[in-house]
Amino acid sequence: MNDEKNMECVIEARGLTKVFRDFWGRPKVRAVNGINLDVRRGEIFGLLGPNGSGKSTTIKMILGLLHPTSGQLSVLGESPRSVSVKTRIGFMPEESYLYKYLTADEILNFYANLYGMSGPHKIERVNALIEQVGLSKARDRRIGEFSKGMARRIGLAQALLNDPDLILLDEPTSGLDPIACREVKDLLLALARQGKTILICSHHLSDMQDICSRVAILLQGEVCATGSVQELLATPDTLKLTLQAPSQTTLTAVLDLLERDTGTRPQVDHTGRTLESVYIEKVSQKKSASS
Amino acid sequence: MNHPQKSLMRIAALAGLTLRDAVRSRLLISLGAILVIGLIGLPLLISGDNTLTGRLQVILNYTLRFAITMLSIVTLWTACGGVSSEIQDRRLYLVLTKPVHRHELWLGKWLGIVALNALLLTLTGLIIGVMTWHTLLTSPESATAKRQAREQFLLARQALLPESPISRDQALSSAGALVKSGRAPAGMDAVQVATELMKELKNARFVIAPTGTVRFVYHLSTPCTGFHDGILNYKIESSRPERNPIHAIWDIQAAGGMALHLTVTNYPGLPNRLLIPGSVMQGAPSLTLSYHRLDRSSPATLFMAQNGQEPELLIPSGSWAMNLSRGLFMILCRLAFLSALGLTAGCLLSTPVAVFVAFFVMVLLTMSGYVESVATSGAFYTPHEGAALSQTWLDKIILGQFKGLNRVTQPLLRLDPVPLLEEGRRISWLLTAHAVAWLVGLYTAVTALIGILLFNRRELG
Repeated sequence: MNDEKNMECVIEARGLTKVFRDFWGRPKVRAVNGINLDVRRGEIFGLLGPNGSGKSTTIKMILGLLHPTSGQLSVLGESPRSVSVKTRIGFMPEESYLYKYLTADEILNFYANLYGMSGPHKIERVNALIEQVGLSKARDRRIGEFSKGMARRIGLAQALLNDPDLILLDEPTSGLDPIACREVKDLLLALARQGKTILICSHHLSDMQDICSRVAILLQGEVCATGSVQELLATPDTLKLTLQAPSQTTLTAVLDLLERDTGTRPQVDHTGRTLESVYIEKVSQKKSASS
Repeated sequence: MNHPQKSLMRIAALAGLTLRDAVRSRLLISLGAILVIGLIGLPLLISGDNTLTGRLQVILNYTLRFAITMLSIVTLWTACGGVSSEIQDRRLYLVLTKPVHRHELWLGKWLGIVALNALLLTLTGLIIGVMTWHTLLTSPESATAKRQAREQFLLARQALLPESPISRDQALSSAGALVKSGRAPAGMDAVQVATELMKELKNARFVIAPTGTVRFVYHLSTPCTGFHDGILNYKIESSRPERNPIHAIWDIQAAGGMALHLTVTNYPGLPNRLLIPGSVMQGAPSLTLSYHRLDRSSPATLFMAQNGQEPELLIPSGSWAMNLSRGLFMILCRLAFLSALGLTAGCLLSTPVAVFVAFFVMVLLTMSGYVESVATSGAFYTPHEGAALSQTWLDKIILGQFKGLNRVTQPLLRLDPVPLLEEGRRISWLLTAHAVAWLVGLYTAVTALIGILLFNRRELG
């Protein structure tokens, strides 16, 4: 626990508040209301909450697009409005806010130019990312012709162009098929292992549960729960025991013993596979057979 | 790579994207097509004043005015939408999460629009050039008329005014003597008397009595090559309502060179052009022109040039193509200011509101001629003859605003190259530099500063 506290905070918010005002300057909506948030280096942090809970507003303040009404916010030790801090941030928005008339290759080159990248380093980086997100065959196609999943992939590639220390992802798996979704999740886990900090906003709770080390749940602009996924999911008076199926006699004896001790008969069930794992296995088998 | 290089790289990337965005926009493609059709179609439809020179002048005026209007619409539309539409569809959000300063974004967009204008103006210039030559070559006029049209129109000419009948020093010395002897009007000092004296002497030489003569001396700053003719623009005004023809002889005498006598017939109130052969002016440092009036009975006439000032001598000074290029560059400076205006509006307002505001300002700038006439005359209309000019308190308030607006729009009016090109006058490099200094260095810079400051404060939520 002490180790966790000592880890460097990449995003630190204290009493962060955002109030939107109307044309006359009167307060209209309190989108974020005094939240405290610590996102530490190397972790995958999930920001959860229903629509209108303040997730997007918080992300926009972290990106410096919106200015906090009150409270303090530091990103990588600097103000989020500082342009220099943006060299270390990668952002993938929920929708594909890309120039649809550019090809995948052109859009990555354009963003690479904005990072001041040039020469062989730029070419190598663009090629590597196109390969990594699986768009090698579609690199000369216009973004406007892409499926939603392909657009998400190129969105992810542009977020990783500058090899960022902090990656902000808004619904990263939305629109992806299960295999692509698994690949993205594996990629994010690999990035976290490299020491990258990842902040994810998503409604796909199963995905968040799979990859996030810590989460915060926002509701009406306030943090209503925060902590590690394990802590939040744990129910202290209930245990799950997984074991090789014993003989019926042994099982009955164990269940009787547990019933005498706890006063309730334990539930026995076979551990099933997830639909995702079955899908991935079957599609992979089919692909390898056809190739 | 150091910081300024990276900054330039970002600006260039944004400019390239803006240009590309504009080139593929359907609306702009349509406007571009209308521009090309108009530039080709107008010369084929215009008949002018039944002379070849007049037709060429009208073609140039109409096509340039048409191009300016179309390019202004293209510029404002692109500039207003360049930022506001990208904010609306959130493409700009992603760009601004990259290490891009907002002034870099503004400059990149502005440069992209200026580059688009430069391309369209180059196309405009090429089409105007081709259509002008086409009109000249396919005209059914005689070879002499075509040569005359080429001389009068397809050449850049520098305007020279005659030397003053009295120098400033001479006027001051005479004024000093008058003041000392007490013969000067009371309350006037020597400088004021000298100014009045020079004005009176200038006016006196415009009056030509029957059988009288007036003489003008022109110093040719650069000796003429002799290939092209000179043109003297003048107009005769009669002191009586009758419009009887006036017969006269022009004596043209080059310093240390040839002399020429030309008999002319002038009608009061109509503009006249005297063609002075290039061979007469060749190599001469100065030219003396004398107008000998032959009539004995006609009334005294007032000698004056077309613009109400002294008769102008237009001498060849450079090629028409180069002159047209400088004129188009001045138009580019004006469009650069308009793009700054549109971008600033687009940074602060939504696309439709920004377009409305920017077009309103453009209309105000287009009215600069009317604004100037109101501001200088102090009246919104010309009262009927004999009627007194009455002003309400509202008129006085609006007049004050017109005077303020005139201060802003006057340089735009002064730096309009179309009348100069139409009359075949030379657009000097100095005037071009003025256009850059005023329109880009001042107007665009101030608009950009305001736009960038406000855009820096804007939140993108």
